[in-house]
Amino acid sequence: VIWRFVQGRRSSRKAVLLLGLCDAGKTLLFARLLTGKYRDTQTSITDSSAVYRVSNDKSGNMTLIDLPGHESLRLQFLERFKAAARAIVFVVDSVAFQREVKDVAEFLYQVLVDSTVLKNAPALLIACNKQDVTMAKSAKLIQQQLEKELNTLRVTHSAAPTSLDGSATGGPAHLGKKGKDFDFSQLPMKVEFVECSARGSKGEEGDADLEGLKKWLAKIA
Amino acid sequence: ERGGNNSFTHEALTLKYKLDNQFELVFVVGFQKILTLTYVDKLIDDVHKEFRDKYRNEFQQKGTLGLLNGTFDFKDDFMRLLRDAEESSKVRAPTVMKTFEQSLKSQKTVKCMIETRGEKPKEKVKNKKNKGSKKEGTEAVAAPGKASAGDKQPSAAGDREELTKDEILQKNREEFFKRHMKAGEKSSKSPKPEAQKEKGKKPRVWDLGNSNAKVLDYSNSATNGSAEACPVEEFDPDVALGDRNREPGRLYDLEYESDDEAEEEKVIQNPSKPSVKKGGLGGMFGMLKGLVGSKSLTREDMDPVLEKMKDHLIAKNVAAEIAVQLCESVAKKLEGKVMGTFTTVTSTVKQALQEALVQILQPQRRVDVLRDVMDAQRHRRPYVVTFCGVNGVGKSTNLAKISFWLIENGFSVLIAACDTFRAGAVEQLRTHTRRLNALHPPENHGGRTMVQLYEKGYGKDAAGIAMEAISYARNQGFDVVLVDTAGRMQDNAPLMTALAKLIAVNAPDLVLFVGEALVGNEAVDQLVKFNKALADHSMAQTPRLIDGIVLTKFDTIDDKVGAAISMTYITSKPIVFVGTGQTYCDLRSLNAKAVVAALMKA
Repeated sequence: VIWRFVQGRRSSRKAVLLLGLCDAGKTLLFARLLTGKYRDTQTSITDSSAVYRVSNDKSGNMTLIDLPGHESLRLQFLERFKAAARAIVFVVDSVAFQREVKDVAEFLYQVLVDSTVLKNAPALLIACNKQDVTMAKSAKLIQQQLEKELNTLRVTHSAAPTSLDGSATGGPAHLGKKGKDFDFSQLPMKVEFVECSARGSKGEEGDADLEGLKKWLAKIA
Repeated sequence: ERGGNNSFTHEALTLKYKLDNQFELVFVVGFQKILTLTYVDKLIDDVHKEFRDKYRNEFQQKGTLGLLNGTFDFKDDFMRLLRDAEESSKVRAPTVMKTFEQSLKSQKTVKCMIETRGEKPKEKVKNKKNKGSKKEGTEAVAAPGKASAGDKQPSAAGDREELTKDEILQKNREEFFKRHMKAGEKSSKSPKPEAQKEKGKKPRVWDLGNSNAKVLDYSNSATNGSAEACPVEEFDPDVALGDRNREPGRLYDLEYESDDEAEEEKVIQNPSKPSVKKGGLGGMFGMLKGLVGSKSLTREDMDPVLEKMKDHLIAKNVAAEIAVQLCESVAKKLEGKVMGTFTTVTSTVKQALQEALVQILQPQRRVDVLRDVMDAQRHRRPYVVTFCGVNGVGKSTNLAKISFWLIENGFSVLIAACDTFRAGAVEQLRTHTRRLNALHPPENHGGRTMVQLYEKGYGKDAAGIAMEAISYARNQGFDVVLVDTAGRMQDNAPLMTALAKLIAVNAPDLVLFVGEALVGNEAVDQLVKFNKALADHSMAQTPRLIDGIVLTKFDTIDDKVGAAISMTYITSKPIVFVGTGQTYCDLRSLNAKAVVAALMKA
């Protein structure tokens, strides 16, 4: 019985979640990883999940789950799937990053501060998507900006008025070490940054530029 | 959460949608707002059924990969359905009476009576019409309007033939067509039913002949360029030329189309019949299925539960119309959904309602005032917050609480006393300032006074004071300006105009509506009118509306927290602060889950 329980625990965390803002490219990435073809996608209003086989079949399969990024839906779906997450791919639109940096950081903060996520510490990959466009920011730049932004957000969220029933919004979960500037290495989980392009540099017909992403997926499988 | 109404308007387009909850599909139809197309609902239903039946296998078996890999080659089917829908709408379209036409025709009745030559062809044509009408008669299920319209068409066509023999009538008709060619052809159908009924009384039936010609003129379908348009367009030049010999040809066309339409109706009726039968069988096993699972939810199952939930919500102080709309949208979302094993209807509905409520309360955009203040600080301009609301909701008290919170976080605050009406308003704010300064003396903050009051006494123009306060803050380097306004009823037009002017002129960064949690149905009215006033009186393209809500007096309600739902539902803006008492520390932020839990608690 105990063995089955342990088995259940392990197998219940086989999901890889695709998170990100609206229009970051999650659904297209999902389609590319599963079928390799380009698809016209619409803004998702519900989750999609499918089993993904890593190319070298030895390590079993994982379930890829593509969640909607819209503000009104994202937290609801995150609630539903966070317990099953073994890894999280946070997709960032590298082209619109400058404009959206606050929203990206806010969402990332909400994901990181979540108690279930902190407990399970799934591996986190920040996929800087849309690298095929010339204006795309590099992964290094995105990392620096996110660190700065999350640094500020730590302060503002912990200073926010406490919640109605007493549970503070950002109080107990404090990201990283106090006193030092926020750094992704301070998190309890492994964080990596990777550049990718779901559309691919050759337009819709060609293959997507997903090598880094695929390698990472193979690693954590 | 607004799934209750199924249409959405954006600029010049209207979108209508239909949900299929069983397979999780959404069907959306977009059309120009100015066209009033009557067949849209039917079209969307047909498309839904067709698509679902065609691809049912792919959905059930293959799941997500099937959706990704499958090609859904639906274009031909869709074009066919669109054409069918347009055709059927032409038969049914009721419309404006052409009284002018009627009156003009009445002059010719005497002349028409004289005509006898056209009897024979009239007989022939009439026989064919009878056949057509008989067929339609058998379609008992078809709407009576459709059948009678079909009936009238054939008989009217026959009558028209006689008239064509008459030159004068011909000329008149030509004039008619030229004038009425583009104006609602569908409208000509309505005189037909009228005239048909009068057949026994007067020989005005020949009037229908003329109107019939208009009936044939389907020029409104020219926009789509569908197949029926061809014979119709051919018709108009002929009429203009006055070629009598071609008239019989027109009649035959008409007949043909009416037959077609009869067939259409038959076809439409058939699919609906089997589904009705299925429903009967399903009812018998419904109970068993409910236990085992894979029973799909119907409206009837959900209605009693929804009624109860609606009453429960209203008892918890949610505005009545909001409760109704919420229940509607939950019903739409769950209709046709397949329930899991051992879940009752009640639990499914409760679950769905809870999710909808949480989603309403979740902020659509970032709610981080401190972050925005920091941004403004970087740009060296003050962050302006305006408080508005009706009388006595707690604007001044909560303003003091918020300024305390800001000071705690190290921002300097300027309070602008724009409430120049209420006695003691300025003094009240002055007292607050003094107390806050006592709590946070300048020595603690590097010699700056953290709070200062900007006031110009009573009876002055609020918008002017606000503008001066903001420029003063900019000069002195204050981080935040909190503008306190006088309470006003939402129906008081001059005061609303004054408020709108204040907000439009000063362009604050945040407009907060202060509402008390004790309010019930009034909340809806207040918010709607406030937003409307702000939108109407601002000159800009995108008017500044209410950006956030402050919910006050939260400690006075135990768990009747419905006002929070009403307010966020109406404005879609987040609740930024919650006031829970009358001391400086009684400021909270909203916890959506706790509020919904309190709301759903029996």
